[in-house]
Parts: sequence; C-alpha cells; structure tokens
Amino acid sequence: MTVGGAIQAAVGFELRKSIRARVPLVAAALLVLGVVAISASVIVAATNGPPEVVAKLGPVVRAGGWAGYLDAALQVTGAAGAGACGILISWSFGREFAERTISGLFALPVSRTALAAAKLVAFFVWTLCVTAALIVVLLVAGFLIELGTPSATDVGVIVERIPVLLLTTAAMTVAAAWVTTISRGLMGGIATTVVLLASAQVIVFSGGGAWFLPSAPALWALDPSPSTAVTLLWSLLFPAAAITVTVFSWRRLQLDR
Amino acid sequence: MTSDGMVLSTVTRTFSTGAGIHAVDLEIAPGQVHALVGRNGAGKSTLMKVLLGMLRPTSGMAQIAGVSVQSAGADVWSRVGHLVEGPLIYGEFTVRDNLEMSAALHGAPRPRRPALVDRSISEFGLERYAHRRAGTLSFGNKQRLALAAALQYDPGFVVLDEPTTGLDPAGTILLRERLRRCAGEGAAILISSHHLDEVSRVADRITVINEGSMIGQLKPGGVELEQAFFALVLADDEQRRSGEEEAS
Repeated sequence: MTVGGAIQAAVGFELRKSIRARVPLVAAALLVLGVVAISASVIVAATNGPPEVVAKLGPVVRAGGWAGYLDAALQVTGAAGAGACGILISWSFGREFAERTISGLFALPVSRTALAAAKLVAFFVWTLCVTAALIVVLLVAGFLIELGTPSATDVGVIVERIPVLLLTTAAMTVAAAWVTTISRGLMGGIATTVVLLASAQVIVFSGGGAWFLPSAPALWALDPSPSTAVTLLWSLLFPAAAITVTVFSWRRLQLDR
Repeated sequence: MTSDGMVLSTVTRTFSTGAGIHAVDLEIAPGQVHALVGRNGAGKSTLMKVLLGMLRPTSGMAQIAGVSVQSAGADVWSRVGHLVEGPLIYGEFTVRDNLEMSAALHGAPRPRRPALVDRSISEFGLERYAHRRAGTLSFGNKQRLALAAALQYDPGFVVLDEPTTGLDPAGTILLRERLRRCAGEGAAILISSHHLDEVSRVADRITVINEGSMIGQLKPGGVELEQAFFALVLADDEQRRSGEEEAS
C-alpha cells in the first residue's frame, strides 16, 4: 500500500464514519437550528417586543434588520460553534477508546498518523458542511421573518465572516482531540471544550480577550478591524500546535492504560 | 534472531505495578499454530500487544517477517490479521460495511473487496446478518464478525487473543477450520486461550506463561492437559515463592 493509498483509505474510512454515525448529524442540526432560532428570536423580540426587552437586547442586535440579525448570529455562532465542534472532535477521537476499537487501529498498513490526520480532515469537512447549511438556513430564516433583502454588507457578513468564524472556531477546538487522546477518553476532550468556552467568556468580559488566542475568531467576527485580523492570524498558531501534538500523540500511542 | 515468522527476543515489558512480561523468547514459525495458555493476568495479552506494536518493549525486540515491529511498514502490516482487546467493528455499519472497511484499511484493492467480503461472510456463517447493523448483533455474532474481519485477506501472520470467547460450538469449529487452513497456507498463528481442550485441537505447539515468563510446553493432543498445565503453573508458583523467601 502506497502512502497516498493509505491516506486515501484513512480519509474514506473517517468520512464514512462521519456520514453514518448520528453524533455528527445531531451536532450539526443542533448548531445550525440553534444559532438560527436564537438569532431570529432575538431580532423578532427586539423589533416587536416590549420596551424593556428591546432595551436589554439593544446592544446585541444594534441596528436591527439583517445587520442586527447577523450580529446576533455571529455572537451565538462563536460560542455554540466552539461547543458543537469541541464535542464532535472529542467524540471522533474518543469513541475509539470508549468503544475499544483503538486496538484494531494498530498493526494496519494505514498508519495511526494517517488515521489521526484523516479524523482532522473529516472534522473540517463536517465544519464546512455545517457552515454551508448555516448560511442557507440563516438566509431562509431571514426571509421568513421578513427582514427584506439583505444589503451587500449583510451578504458579506454571511459569506465571509460566518465561514471564517466557524472554521477558525473549529480549529481552536482541536486541542480537545489531543486531550482526548492523552486521557484515553472523550470526557477529557469535552472538559477541554468547556474550559476553552468558559475561559474565553471570562477573559473577554474582563477585557483581556485580545490576548487570549481561542477568543480571537469571535472578536474578529464582531469587529473585523486590522488589529483583530492580525490577532486572528496569530491565533492560528494554537490549532497548528494542537494538530501537531495530536498527530504525534497518535503516532506514539501505546495501549498501556 | 531473524525468522520468516513472528519472533520475540528477550522481550521485557513491565508496568508500574510490576506486572508484564519478563525476558520472553518466543518464535512462531510459518505454517504453525502456536497457542499461549496461562491464567488471567499471566501476560498473554501484554505479549500480543508488544508483538503488534501496541506496547513498546522495555527491552528486547519483537519481529515480524524479520522486521522489527517498531520500524515495520505497510508491507508487513498488510499481512497481519489480529484481534486483541476490542474488535474493529462500528455499530452503525452493517456487517458487510464493516468487512469492506476492514479490507480497505488492510490495503485490499477495491475490485477484490466484494469477493473477500462475500467469502468471509460465508466462512463465518454471517449470511443472515450481512445487512444488519453490527450494533444489533449478539455478542457471539460480533465475535464472528471480528474474526472474519481479522482473517478475510488471508494474512500471513495472525494474532488472536481469546478468539473463542462468545462463540457457540459451531462458531468454534468454523474458527478452528479457518485457522488450520491459514496455517496450511503458511501463516504463522499465535492464539491465546483459557480453553485447553480447544487449544489442544487446533495448536501445533502450546506454551505456558505464568507471571510474565514462559514456564514450559504442553503436548497438543495429550491427555490430562489440564493436569499438566496446573502442574507446571503450581511448580512455577512454588519456585517463585521459595526464591522470594530466600531473597528476603
């Protein structure tokens, strides 16, 4: 088996698992429908709700209309995306330990390096599919709640900021795959996701978000200035390191626990 | 020591508890079914994991086809079939899909896979379940599926830990016939089992392991196998106790 053949087999194997299992489908549905339902509810409440509700939601939805709706969607996507992606990647790596299939992934012509890389490929393919679904459902829901025709700026937010936000947010959660691997179970990955989410919230609210790499995608999406763009680029070092150590850990893996 | 089969040369692999295997030498020759018997925790699974690269030895070397397991590549692993600890079975896939994925991961060319899968399904009596999700199978049928996946591409090297676990008598006979056929085609086969009678029927050599060390051989087909096994193990236990008392 050639290296190319091994990688092809590994990617095919992981994509088939992602398509057939329920977890990726449920996580995708919850993320897409959750983000759209919350964003639509917020904008409807802000437009038609009682004054006290409008006052509370004002900072969230700012201008109302498509701009407010998409502002809400960006905020919710940052947090919900991290949660869904963290759970999915923890499941993808952790299920092999939980279901005891990991021993079957040894002594194969397809190396564990290729299998770990294939899991990451399948994860980012899933994220791309979720992104596409989110864009479509956001647009459809926007029309259904009668926001009218989106401006060019609104379309830009949908087709540029949401994909970048979701893909970079997904990348930030790769650290959960590494923790899942070294802890030999998916709970370690889920705990990592929770810690990433909670720490990002706390640090952003305390004003230090600009230096906390995992919060960079959300901060850039809400305010895509040159300064947040630079931080976003820097923040990619975090997933790059997580990908490296995860693949290395799979390569060096031993069934000693 | 190099061989066309599977070899462990003075292999030690210990855990923090002190358990493991100690200075184990073992050679499984091509065309031979070699059975490893021992009590629970004797080190059978550890030995198999070292041989399959699931554990790195503390010292010594494990080789397959003359190649160190630590540096073995796709050419070696594509000829290995194994079932140690959990099977490579995903509950959301059908029996057929699981076998197809296993064949793909073992490097079987795409055009050959349907025939391999059909043959495995037939060999292990899984025709009725071919289109059922693996998650819905009984424990015994999952074991049949796991064995079918491990053996479907005619591996030259086979490592099976407790392969008869969960099998009914018919499944046990199917496995025995399959293993004898593999050995007849030149495969080097290592199996572990608690069932001495079953081991006696299928193995060419039987090695007894106790407390992580090889302590002797049993004669396949011999009478009073159980008695001979316990005599070896108890004598080894006694010897260890005496050694420990002398040391203290």
